[in-house]
Amino acid sequence: MASLFKEQAKLSAYRDRRFSGTQEEFEEALRTSSTVYIGNVSFYTTEEQIYELFSRAGEIKKIIMGLDKNTKTPCGFCFVLFYSREDTEDAVKYVSGTILDDRPIRVDFDWGFQEGRQWGRGRSGGQVRDEYRTDYDPDILSLKELEAQRQLVDYGTGSLGDERRGGPRGGGEYGQGGSNRHGRGGDFHRKRQRDDDRYGRDNSRRNSDHETRRDSDHDMRPEKNPRFRESGDSDDDGEDDRKRS
Amino acid sequence: MSNWKTLLLRIGEKGPEYGTSSDFKDHIETCFGVIRREIERSGDQVSPYLLQCAEQLPHKIPLYGTLIGLLNLENEDFVRKIVESVQANFQVALDSGNCNSIRILLRFMTSLLCSKVVQPASLIVVFETLLSSAATTVDEEKGNPSWQAQADFYVICILSSLPWGGAELAEQVPDEIERVLVGIQAYLSIRKHSSSSGLNFFLKGESENSPSEKDFLEDLWDRTQSLASNGWKLDSVPRPHLSFEAQLVAGKFHELRPIKCMEPPSPPSDLSRENIGKQKHDALMRYPQRIRRLNIFPANKTEDVQPIDRFVVEEYLLDVLLYLNGCRKECASYMANLPVPFRYEYLMAETLFSQILLLPQPPFKTLYYTLVIMDLCKALPGAFPAVVAGAVRALFEKISDLDMESRTRLILWFSHHLSNFQFIWPWEEWSYVLDLPKWAPKRVFVQEVLQREVRLSYWDKIKQSIENASALEELLPAKAAPAYRYSLEEGKEKTEEHQLSAELNRKVKEKQSARDMMSWIEETIYPVHGFEVTLTVVVQTLLEIGSKSFTHMVTVLERYGQVFGKLCPDNDKQVMLLSQVSAYWKNNAQMTAVAMDRMMGYRLVSNQAIVRWVFSPENVDQFHVSDQPWEILGNALNKTYNRISDLRKDISNITKNVLVAEKASANARAELEAAESKLSLVEGEPVLGENPGKMKRLKSTVEKTGEAEVSLRESLEAKEALLNRALSETEALLLLLFQSFSAVLKERLPEPAKARSMEDLKSEDGNSSAMEVDSENGNPKKKTEIGEREQWCLSTLGYLTAFTRQYANEIWPHMEKLKLEVFSGEDVHPLFLQAIFSALQIPLQ
Repeated sequence: MASLFKEQAKLSAYRDRRFSGTQEEFEEALRTSSTVYIGNVSFYTTEEQIYELFSRAGEIKKIIMGLDKNTKTPCGFCFVLFYSREDTEDAVKYVSGTILDDRPIRVDFDWGFQEGRQWGRGRSGGQVRDEYRTDYDPDILSLKELEAQRQLVDYGTGSLGDERRGGPRGGGEYGQGGSNRHGRGGDFHRKRQRDDDRYGRDNSRRNSDHETRRDSDHDMRPEKNPRFRESGDSDDDGEDDRKRS
Repeated sequence: MSNWKTLLLRIGEKGPEYGTSSDFKDHIETCFGVIRREIERSGDQVSPYLLQCAEQLPHKIPLYGTLIGLLNLENEDFVRKIVESVQANFQVALDSGNCNSIRILLRFMTSLLCSKVVQPASLIVVFETLLSSAATTVDEEKGNPSWQAQADFYVICILSSLPWGGAELAEQVPDEIERVLVGIQAYLSIRKHSSSSGLNFFLKGESENSPSEKDFLEDLWDRTQSLASNGWKLDSVPRPHLSFEAQLVAGKFHELRPIKCMEPPSPPSDLSRENIGKQKHDALMRYPQRIRRLNIFPANKTEDVQPIDRFVVEEYLLDVLLYLNGCRKECASYMANLPVPFRYEYLMAETLFSQILLLPQPPFKTLYYTLVIMDLCKALPGAFPAVVAGAVRALFEKISDLDMESRTRLILWFSHHLSNFQFIWPWEEWSYVLDLPKWAPKRVFVQEVLQREVRLSYWDKIKQSIENASALEELLPAKAAPAYRYSLEEGKEKTEEHQLSAELNRKVKEKQSARDMMSWIEETIYPVHGFEVTLTVVVQTLLEIGSKSFTHMVTVLERYGQVFGKLCPDNDKQVMLLSQVSAYWKNNAQMTAVAMDRMMGYRLVSNQAIVRWVFSPENVDQFHVSDQPWEILGNALNKTYNRISDLRKDISNITKNVLVAEKASANARAELEAAESKLSLVEGEPVLGENPGKMKRLKSTVEKTGEAEVSLRESLEAKEALLNRALSETEALLLLLFQSFSAVLKERLPEPAKARSMEDLKSEDGNSSAMEVDSENGNPKKKTEIGEREQWCLSTLGYLTAFTRQYANEIWPHMEKLKLEVFSGEDVHPLFLQAIFSALQIPLQ
């Protein structure tokens, strides 16, 4: 449907340098993948928020937060894996460009997650797509979007006066929206409390989890992160042990 | 894109393509000038693109129709081919039951009549063929009245194309169109009024549900009659051909050839209520009603337009939503700039909300309509946000009557919408819900919206957003810390369980295998402390380790899930396991739901265990005050259903591959046989068979293709076995589900004699209810508020209807069994049956 305008749209504006195949293979991977890359995410956005938003497109198989390779903390991107291609397409069509945690996120098809891709590739350790993007400055976009919204949110009640919009809330949010790349902004402390420092406090475990997952990803049976495992599949203790030792 | 394509695509739009002009006449002339030249240069490309534009941008059909009329004056042959293509596409659409194509192409043909391209009499023949097929279908003897949905659809298509050419038909073939209209009237008199019970947005009083309420076709017929009596004049369909009338009269008509309609399947041999119901259901799935009108705005607020104009604008909007799905910018822009001379924001909001809430389900996910509403708020900043807010207020006022499924979608939409607009909402308007009892639908609605907002954002932020209605804080979910029992705090007693938990924790840190952990549990904890303590320690400790994020939880389940599995091998124990999970995550509805969902995915708990847990007393008491048990039940059903769909998809793919492999293998064998029968000379001697090298190759190909075929067949068999098992599991699940509903409802519903309809529950005198105590707030309860037990019954029946309707397709195949085991018997409450039958569209006798 809507084929009239589709030819104008590209599958993804971004060509991953890590992808080893040809351009055609890359495009084929994007056409069949059930993974999305999500960019311009706030550093404080949690997996659970992402789960809540993206599960509205379909059942989620896995979420992989992008981490700063130096600090091992979230650095503004993540991958979401779905079970079905159709849900993946809906996530790209309907979520990209909408707001999560005060930031307009972008959602692109991704050629498929591989171990190692969760680390930011920027020189600073952060998200490379933003560092090298010229057509897309998340900070400017975010401010513009927020400004536009501010003018739109008028429900004609008379009770939402300027006093409210100009109040302390307003200021804080502007700060947060634009603060991602250049230091941590206005509501740093508030968010910190919420997060319970979940990535910072226990880096060692976090890392070891990633290690473990890498190991287990090679183990093809039983299926990892099943939508619904078949009752015939039984977990094989022995093999599991061998893998981990 | 080349220039001529852009001109075709953008015709009628304000934009750079057509310079400063916004006059349709200029656009058509400019476009015509370019297209006539283009046809000479690359004739073959123009026509498919033109048809594609007309089909996918149907609100521009009159422009394309006029353009084709002008081309007809110069290049009859080109236009004849276009008409032939349209007709061929139309026949294909009829044969495949492609509703949207049938509808749009019939409209297009009608529009081509205006520009003197299509011969009027031949269009009348098309109408009459559709009409006679419809009349035959609803005929008891010759047709199959269960397929009335198809018959109605054909007639709706005729009526809905009349706004695009009624005036011309009345002028050029007055007698014939009159005959068609008389025929439609006759059809209306023999068809049955289609009851929409079970698909209504709102629970209605008996008076409103009476047969005097018009169904969609009856209503469209009324609108058409008033259009006819108004000389077929309407505002919403542009008539650009009038500007070219002087030229167009010279055009030569092209005749439409006769068409053939799809015949409905034969009626079931056994005309039981269920068999007829099943066929009706199939027909409705094939020919679904596009829209159910949601009249939420007071009449003085909505735009004052003719009934038929309302219909046309709805058509435009639904078609833009359909064809421009995925093209965000164009979709919003076309919706905001329809070619009509009046404002339609209210109508647009009603149409969008009618789609979000549509039952059994809208064509797209709620997510899509959410995006469109956001984009329209941005595209029409002065007008649309206030209308959307008005719609929310209107729906909120009627929330207690809103269907449970629709209500859930409204909550999901609203929370998501607000999350994109900084969570700004005049909550103070609703702070009075706190004075309502905790089961009051308005109060539960606010509570659930806040719950979803917190999930999309975070607690402090949402608390801040309700600043000017701070009393509502009471309705915020608890701040989401898990309830871990064994945290080691100074000064707190360290029990034996604390030590066990610490030990378990250490084993996880040391990456002990699940098997070792299991034997330690079985040897050390279980014999000494018994099952319950063991389960508590294991669940609390492992969930705590996985509590940091979704991924942490998945990792723990991946690694140590078998520990749960071994500990809780049967449904009874799994129900206890679920209670433990819910106790650990009692402050976080999302993590409770996600944890249970994943545990079902790993088959650590069965879907039946989830149903049993949801229907355990602790949850049953929550049915009317919280969405949480329903969310979890919904997830379990959804996962079960998704798995069946996955298997069906796999099977259909493998079946295709088997056919391919069969062919390859047969070809290889044939080739080998052919080669074997050939005589060739080897070392001067004639021998049977070609040279050895080739023979060897051929033999190996036969082997390989044969193996491939066998292995595909094996995997097909394996998948089919899985599907069969899944289907029988589904049957067991459905039995349990309906039995559980029946049991809890029977305990709480008033005697059948006192409650014959849902309405009776609403009007029941609240004081007679035993459960109704509201001394806590000290608020004297308003008389209009419904009692607790009645609300419990309404909510539960509402969800029963919602689930039944949502999974009707999966329920029908198990109908016999369900009827035998759950739906019959003297002690089955009639309201329980009513909820199910209305959801399945089975008429009550």
